[in-house]
Amino acid sequence: MLKTPHLKLLSLSFAFSLFVMSFGMVNMATAASFERPADPLKSVMWNQMYDEFLDGGARKVVFDKNVVVKTMVNVEDQFHVPVTVDARGLKDVKEIVVFSDLNPIWHVLTYKPEEAEPYISFRFKVQQSTPIRAAVLTSDNVWHVGGVDLEAAGGGCTAPAMAHGLPDWTLRLAEVRAKIWRSIDNRETRLRVRVQHPMDTGLADGIPAFFIETLDIKSTEGRMFGRLQIQEPVSENPAFTLMPKLKSSDSSVVVDGRDIEGNNFRAVVPAPARSSQLGSVTTSSVR
Amino acid sequence: MDRRKFLRGTAALGLGRGLVSGCSAGMAGGMFLSGAIDQAFAAPLQYNLKASLIAPGTYVVVGPTEYFSHENGGNIVNTAFVDTADGVVVIDTGPSLRYGNELRRLIKATLKKDIVRVYITHHHPDHFLGNQAFEASKIASLPKVIENIKSQGEAFVENMYRLEGDWMRGTQVVLPEVSLKSSEIIGGHPFEVLPLGGHTSADLAILDTKTGVLFTGDLAFLDRAPTTPHADLNVWHKSLNDLEKIKHEVLVPGHGQAEGGGRAIAQTRDYLKWLETMMRSSIDKGLDMTDIMATPIPKRFSNVTVLPGEMHRSVAHLYRKMEEDLLPLITKGGG
Repeated sequence: MLKTPHLKLLSLSFAFSLFVMSFGMVNMATAASFERPADPLKSVMWNQMYDEFLDGGARKVVFDKNVVVKTMVNVEDQFHVPVTVDARGLKDVKEIVVFSDLNPIWHVLTYKPEEAEPYISFRFKVQQSTPIRAAVLTSDNVWHVGGVDLEAAGGGCTAPAMAHGLPDWTLRLAEVRAKIWRSIDNRETRLRVRVQHPMDTGLADGIPAFFIETLDIKSTEGRMFGRLQIQEPVSENPAFTLMPKLKSSDSSVVVDGRDIEGNNFRAVVPAPARSSQLGSVTTSSVR
Repeated sequence: MDRRKFLRGTAALGLGRGLVSGCSAGMAGGMFLSGAIDQAFAAPLQYNLKASLIAPGTYVVVGPTEYFSHENGGNIVNTAFVDTADGVVVIDTGPSLRYGNELRRLIKATLKKDIVRVYITHHHPDHFLGNQAFEASKIASLPKVIENIKSQGEAFVENMYRLEGDWMRGTQVVLPEVSLKSSEIIGGHPFEVLPLGGHTSADLAILDTKTGVLFTGDLAFLDRAPTTPHADLNVWHKSLNDLEKIKHEVLVPGHGQAEGGGRAIAQTRDYLKWLETMMRSSIDKGLDMTDIMATPIPKRFSNVTVLPGEMHRSVAHLYRKMEEDLLPLITKGGG
């Protein structure tokens, strides 16, 4: 007895989903108005990366030397590949997305600098030789892309974290070590923050994914310097360098973090008034 | 031209497996390609090892001071052998089965005697992967070195295939069967066993007290930058101090020329001190790994090879521990 209305409902919903699908397709067709640029790294995954991270034609994409990606090209330690993304050559940066084409998990992190320079350094895990790229979205809706090819031995993403070799790793979970440097003219501030965390990818046998997913950098009054969305490939005990724009009245910076099991942690990092002990950052990768 | 490049060449000409099978594809290529490729195909992979006499009855096979490559096949290391009344004593076996075989033939041709003892200085792949060419029951090292080979040997073999390709063919891990507990007298030569460490968790140095030759393994390098993948710098410095106190005529470093006069120990110490001080002060100034790697190398190391590449590798090895020590603790972890 109940079959007829059910069928009716089904056919209705089917028609509706057809409608939605076709609408979606039309929408995509009109949106995909920008041409996909040829990949200077000639990655077999470039088309997929373009669709996944760069809106597949809905936004303009340019390869831009103002997106400096510094790394160690011949990877020595596939569990800890140092990467610095420096987009200070661009104005009005909204977001920095870092991804690696041939890693089992492509997305490494997304950084949204608010009152901060578009600059981030971190370490990540690689599973094999792969491009590492940074895409920087500016307020004029353009993705500026930079990147390099890494040469690496295998296995960084599928091996257990070192923490699991230690019986008491939970005792230090979410321990925060950090320091702030200010240049003598107060024009540059650098924050280095390191959090104790296994950052399990979920790809090692019998160990579920367990990683920090957000890190917010704020002033004590709640002004947002920058927000980090972190993914599985970021290395164990992640460490970041950021450049928040501190006011001279800011005497500390608040770091608020959360992992995917809902553990929240907060660290208040004191900011020195002035310091001359700030080294200058470089502009190129090493082999 | 190495084999990998050669194969790439034939692939580009459509002489891959699909067309003609295996070896004959290469032969066909060799017949009508340029002389260079012809020659590359004809030349078998050979290290052409040569022994130099550095003290009475003591020979060193000095490897080029380079990094592992498809060109050198991993021959970047020193091996050595000593003529005694009871037979030959060998120190380290090289980076591959092929090297081990060549070394064994070189020893036979030079001394026409049996090998009675093989010492392995530590568990790095360029020092023990020639073990297959020797009798395992004659191969000796410190218990911890044997343990390290057992736990990390297979991973080294995999990585060496990646870095060197066909040179490694057939190479497998062979564990030393003799666990060294004390010094030994072989054919009138008292070999003093020095259980040290710092370059790795266990480094064996050997002093032949009859000739005064000190074999340091990789505790000392000469005119080649020291490597640090498993280093503990404090322990390494203690070992260098210990080695310096041992009276010797000639020092055979793990990499670089054998000579008297203490230059290898002094240079290794100087470089490691510079590396550590430079890294710590850079971390103190808020610099990250990629920035530290751009640090210029001091002029006094200008004749030290594999720089700055080896320094970059060391930053990758040592940075995280130093950073953990130097960054102030803000909040404790745990529940």
